[in-house]
Amino acid sequence: MSAPTGRPTRVAFALVDHDGHPVTLEDHRGSWLLVQFGFTSCRVVCPRALTKLSAALDELGPLAAQVRPLYVSVDPERDTPSVMRAFLTASYPRFTGLTGTPEQVEAAKDAFRVFARRRPDPEDPDGYAVPHTAITYLVGPDGELARHWPDTATASTIAADLADVLRPSGGHGTPHA
Amino acid sequence: MTVTARTTTASAGVLDQDQLGHLKHWDDLSRRLPHDWSLMQGKGAGEDDFGSYRFQLAYMVYGLALAHRHRLPAAPGLFRPTIQRLVEKLLMPDVWLYWRDVSRGGMVMNAHLSDGYHEEWDPVVRDNIMYSAYVQSCSLLHDHLFADDRYAQPGALTFEHWSFFWGGEPKRFVYDRETLNEHLYWQMVQNGYLGIACEPNCVFQICNQPAILGFRLHDVITGGDRATEVVAGYQQAWADFGRLDDTGHYNQMILEDSRVVRPNALQAPWVDAWCGALMNTWNHDFVHEHYPRQVADFLEPGPDGTLSVRSTPAMEVMGQTVVNDTCDLGWVAAWASEMGDHATLDGVLAHADRFMAPTWRDGALYYPRNDTKTDAEGHRTEIEPMTGNVLLGYARLNVPDGLHELYQHPWGPEHFAEPALTEVGRDVEVSRAEVVDGVLHARLRRRGVEDGLEDDGAVVLGRVPEGARLRVDGQEVAATPVAEGLRLDVPAGPAHDVELVP
Repeated sequence: MSAPTGRPTRVAFALVDHDGHPVTLEDHRGSWLLVQFGFTSCRVVCPRALTKLSAALDELGPLAAQVRPLYVSVDPERDTPSVMRAFLTASYPRFTGLTGTPEQVEAAKDAFRVFARRRPDPEDPDGYAVPHTAITYLVGPDGELARHWPDTATASTIAADLADVLRPSGGHGTPHA
Repeated sequence: MTVTARTTTASAGVLDQDQLGHLKHWDDLSRRLPHDWSLMQGKGAGEDDFGSYRFQLAYMVYGLALAHRHRLPAAPGLFRPTIQRLVEKLLMPDVWLYWRDVSRGGMVMNAHLSDGYHEEWDPVVRDNIMYSAYVQSCSLLHDHLFADDRYAQPGALTFEHWSFFWGGEPKRFVYDRETLNEHLYWQMVQNGYLGIACEPNCVFQICNQPAILGFRLHDVITGGDRATEVVAGYQQAWADFGRLDDTGHYNQMILEDSRVVRPNALQAPWVDAWCGALMNTWNHDFVHEHYPRQVADFLEPGPDGTLSVRSTPAMEVMGQTVVNDTCDLGWVAAWASEMGDHATLDGVLAHADRFMAPTWRDGALYYPRNDTKTDAEGHRTEIEPMTGNVLLGYARLNVPDGLHELYQHPWGPEHFAEPALTEVGRDVEVSRAEVVDGVLHARLRRRGVEDGLEDDGAVVLGRVPEGARLRVDGQEVAATPVAEGLRLDVPAGPAHDVELVP
């Protein structure tokens, strides 16, 4: 019996996009997905990550057209589709927001092995924050996780890695996620 | 990021008799027949507690790694087979079968969670970092120290058990260095880098340190940088709770479900000592800053400069006394060695030598288990197999910041190009093996039947530079060319100084 590796492979999800349309991984088959989890009330980690990823996609130039950037909420109670749409279109227009019921979000977190846990935060108007995994994931056209980057990866590193994967001579299969 | 060790120009010195005795004991234990755990059985049943076989085996590997890295860097042939035998034992079902029961939950602090857990045979697939991290880090230590991919081979870390008498189908869980490391990494990610639990729901600081060492070694071997990521995440996650408790001692663990931190409420020496000795790998300044005050709370001065370590009374829970090999004295010795606190280390070792019955057998040194707490004068005599077999030897063979240096300055390719003793007969004692300014220096003694040994008395010198000359006690000698280099038959008698001069 072979044992599991723990690495997320089947990253299926069924969520709602920021226009209110149901969306699954299957709807994105054939596209490269750049996936970041977070919540719109996040004051530090998410703005930094989304700014960095936007810069990486800018740096990527025309190749960026092959990538679909997704921002998945870990705070579905507050992050309704309209809240996500307002947040992203104002500051990070490359990204499509995904949210859903708490159960749907929980399933997506589990598929990507994302940590997120609500905790009190007196500085937040609603009194809580949701610390979360700040890893960025790249899902291949076949729906398999192709690689990931830690929060410390720079925009240039991510852009260079994406270029390696997306150029015709590159291709899916960069296995060192 | 990989910063490798600098070329050695200062001598690592010659091992003393006690250090050699510990190495011989570890070699002897590694050669026990399968399921023979003589001298290693502690007070507890079921391999549950801190004196279990897994800890003894793993810290022998760590001690051997430290001795090789810092004391005898040019003797891979001495350490490699022993580490391989110990890892083989670490994979034996005697060592990990406890998990089938412990995985069900139900420990006193978590009784309310039992319904959420099930019996799990695979000993590394969920929680149980108190075992999985040692399989991970010991196999990676081997592959790093010997520039080998032994444990990267598919199935190299396989857990198997089948009984004719019970249990049904064979149980077989196939891992290797890569898949196990990957598995632990993603468990860390999913837990927000707070750590992986030991018993269900219990995330100990101590038991996640070996996993961090493993990530670092994996980075060194494969060129990644996950240790930096995990350490940064770990620091951030624990910042909410504090690494130290209100009294300045290490927080012991956190309960995953409630996020309640359990401090070192009893001020148990092993909690601080074990954690500090390991955390020094990546958190040197913090560990050193708090060490003097922490250790002072545990030491008890004795006669003639000896130092003992107090233990806390056994916990009473549900009308039961918790049976546990705390290994307090042994862990404080190991911690003091890592901190470079010679005064404490010497005092504790002097206490052990005076009150804990050091025993020599066939050239091997150990301190046999003694469950009697004190002698008639009140001096501590209680000692566990983990301390007597392993930790006192570990402390003697370690050097100041030994684990820290191993983590921060791993060997690079230049080390593996230097000449070395690549094979060492079982009856050859090696008290020096290092390359200084290009010259391999070794001090070798052929053990006799008094040490219970009889072999061919030979070593093989590998990676020999073209035209190198071999000297024994200053006299040039002819050695036998073999495929790997030169074979030298070690002359009988006292120790001989061997030099390989390029």
